[in-house]
Amino acid sequence: MTIKRCKICILPSSKPDLEFNSNGVCQGCLAYQNRKNIDWKSREEKFKEIIQKYKKNNNYDCIIPVSGGKDSHYQVIKCLEHDLNPLCITASTDKLSELGRYNIENLKKIGVDHIEVSTNPVIRRKINKFTLKTIGDISWAEHLTIFTIPFKFSCSFNIPLLIWGENPQNENGGPLERESEIELNRAWLEEFGGLLGLRVTDLADILKLKKKELELYTFPSSEELKANKTFGIFLGQFFKWDGHKNAETASKFGFKTYEKELEGSIVNYENLDNVQMRIHDYFKYLKFGYDRVTDWCCWHIRRGRLNREEALNLENDKSGKYPSEYLGYSLGDILEEINCTQKEFDEICDAFTNKEIFKCDNSGNLIKNKDKSLIKNF
Amino acid sequence: MKIRIIPTVLFNKSNCVKGKQFKSWRVCGNITQVIKLYSLRQVDEIIFIDISANKNSINFRLIDEFADECFMPITVGGGVKSLYDIEKLLKVGADRVCLNSSFFYKPEILDQAIKHFGSQCLVLSIDYKKILDKNYVFVDCGETNTKLDLEEYLKKAIDYNPGEIILTSIENDGMMNGYDHKTIYEVNEKFSQNFIISGGMSCSKDIAKIHGKTKIKAYSMSSIFHYTENTPLSIKEELKELGLEVRI
Amino acid sequence: MNKILVIDYNAGNVDSVIKAVKIFNSNVIFSKNLADLDNCSKIILPGQGTYDVAIKELKENGLYEKIIYKTNKENIPILGICLGMQILSSFGYENNLKTTGLNLIPGKVIKLKDNPSKLPHIGWTSVKFVKTDKIFKDIDSEKDFYFIHSYKYIALDKKNTIASSFYNENFSSIVKYENVYGVQFHPEKSLGNGLKLIENFLNL
Repeated sequence: MTIKRCKICILPSSKPDLEFNSNGVCQGCLAYQNRKNIDWKSREEKFKEIIQKYKKNNNYDCIIPVSGGKDSHYQVIKCLEHDLNPLCITASTDKLSELGRYNIENLKKIGVDHIEVSTNPVIRRKINKFTLKTIGDISWAEHLTIFTIPFKFSCSFNIPLLIWGENPQNENGGPLERESEIELNRAWLEEFGGLLGLRVTDLADILKLKKKELELYTFPSSEELKANKTFGIFLGQFFKWDGHKNAETASKFGFKTYEKELEGSIVNYENLDNVQMRIHDYFKYLKFGYDRVTDWCCWHIRRGRLNREEALNLENDKSGKYPSEYLGYSLGDILEEINCTQKEFDEICDAFTNKEIFKCDNSGNLIKNKDKSLIKNF
Repeated sequence: MKIRIIPTVLFNKSNCVKGKQFKSWRVCGNITQVIKLYSLRQVDEIIFIDISANKNSINFRLIDEFADECFMPITVGGGVKSLYDIEKLLKVGADRVCLNSSFFYKPEILDQAIKHFGSQCLVLSIDYKKILDKNYVFVDCGETNTKLDLEEYLKKAIDYNPGEIILTSIENDGMMNGYDHKTIYEVNEKFSQNFIISGGMSCSKDIAKIHGKTKIKAYSMSSIFHYTENTPLSIKEELKELGLEVRI
Repeated sequence: MNKILVIDYNAGNVDSVIKAVKIFNSNVIFSKNLADLDNCSKIILPGQGTYDVAIKELKENGLYEKIIYKTNKENIPILGICLGMQILSSFGYENNLKTTGLNLIPGKVIKLKDNPSKLPHIGWTSVKFVKTDKIFKDIDSEKDFYFIHSYKYIALDKKNTIASSFYNENFSSIVKYENVYGVQFHPEKSLGNGLKLIENFLNL
């Protein structure tokens, strides 16, 4: 499997679940191109049809899972425009930045009820260290709870409708037959939720945690979901999704961006809340050879804001940097909180680096620059 | 005898992959994380198959690395063509080596290998597909139809006496719609070899169904662990509830 | 001096055995040199393959006599694993040959019954302790260990069987005589319990 890139954007074939057509164009680009064929008017009508049913609900019309970020702001604004009465739920990130706190407070000021749900930080950090070591992902618990927590509250509060943001399978090039799905349910989560094969039951078994301690990480049972008639939809399937435009919209409502370009990215308006995000993204780079820089380049190419050559140059310049700091927090500080030394961290990085896509010396060891960055061989 | 639940990990370079009916391969993660996870889950055994090794060469370095993580038996296959390949795989940490296409092209290799290394460390993998009501054996990762009937092929294979045979239904593979129980019952009737069944597992009842009607004690699966909430332990717990003997 | 010698006699996958031993003692050598037998505190005899070929290899290297000497005269503890356990016996009857073994625990090795279940015996099977022994420290009886074999060890003196298992019939899963231990299963492949057994042997 030699790594090839999409002929239009620059996504590499090492990305999980990325499909290409016979012309070497990735599914992400094809899905985007297809948007002009989409009858967005009728999609909006479909959305209105769906929400009409749920407006008859006794209490809130829907749950909007929010992080406080640009997309959350957009989702809330859109829902309010459609006269929905939402309950916003934030599944707290493990280490929330100051900017992240500011933006959550700002979101509330748009005029919504809001619940913030946090997991036990002692257990959460134990899990984070474990997942970093085992599956090379510090944010596994994050990716799980941003789904399980809203679904749990959907059942407990009898609010069947959940309105998520983009469908990542559509936005980022997933399997052909899945990119037009409008529903987010448990099966979707198990397959596409970034769980990397790890399941909550593993935590109970391997970390010797009690099932009760993992309540917020556990999806409601299928009986509960059925009885509640839970229905999660992707807003991005009904309205043209553009993260950059979402940021512009959000800013008009007081959303604050980072004072400079984010470390490990080429924008300053996303992932402002989760301090551990940089580490998560770095591991994506180690495993698959691309990161957030690549993602943004691709989104910009598709929308005509960058050409392919510019994107490749930008990626070459900005991608793959060692995560020494993020949002003003040093790597050392972040690691200390999960009881991980710098040495351990570097060993874990090496264990998950895909040696097929980075240059190694004759003994099979990775070649590293002075700044600890690696050298891609594609 | 306890039932063995054996995850199969397919890989292509450093990526763990999974397909449907030996096509539409999806990268489902980095192989290090997959191995560490199964290792921590203390599964009964793991089967590792490099689906690209047939066209390239065996990645001994990678296999050496992940064998180091495993304190349970591992069977390694993909592109095994010579006694040297087998010897080297055993040396880098494989407990058993799996032959597939090479048995079709050069059956004497199995004979020589068994004489040299013992049948215990050799496993034969046979992939088959139904065409017009008859099962035909395919090699080269499902690309080449040997035009040989499955039962004829099995008869020949058993003459060589491999330690175990992995039987994979290409049609059922990755579909999570159940094992090919019809073929499995027929094979079980005619042959009393040690088989590992593979292709299509969707839930523990699939295993219970076959276990109730055959002597088969070893079951392999892949997709359900990548794409559903099932884990090897949850499957075993369900099997235990159904009255089957498993190691927990 | 606490050097562990894992005998090299072309006996299949030893990597796992060495890896497991290294967890507890990094001073491990994998060798067929007679000199290394002189400097070790414990011997591990791994094994895959066939009885006759294994004995032939040991004899060709001069290891056969030296191992017997070291264990009988100098009481060096020895752990035979799988085929390594089987060659501790007096005779083996594999491949239709009668081969003389190391005779460190008198007994013979013959084929397991092959019905109702087919041979080889592959999989996780319960090991029941029939005696107490230091090697069982912190391991519960009737735990599962990983087996893959077609032959069984029949100890001449029943007292030398300290654990037994069942596959078509009862058979000895662990034999012992003084400083000589043999395990039919693969402790290096039996997860936590197997590793504990190896640790216990190394701590003797």
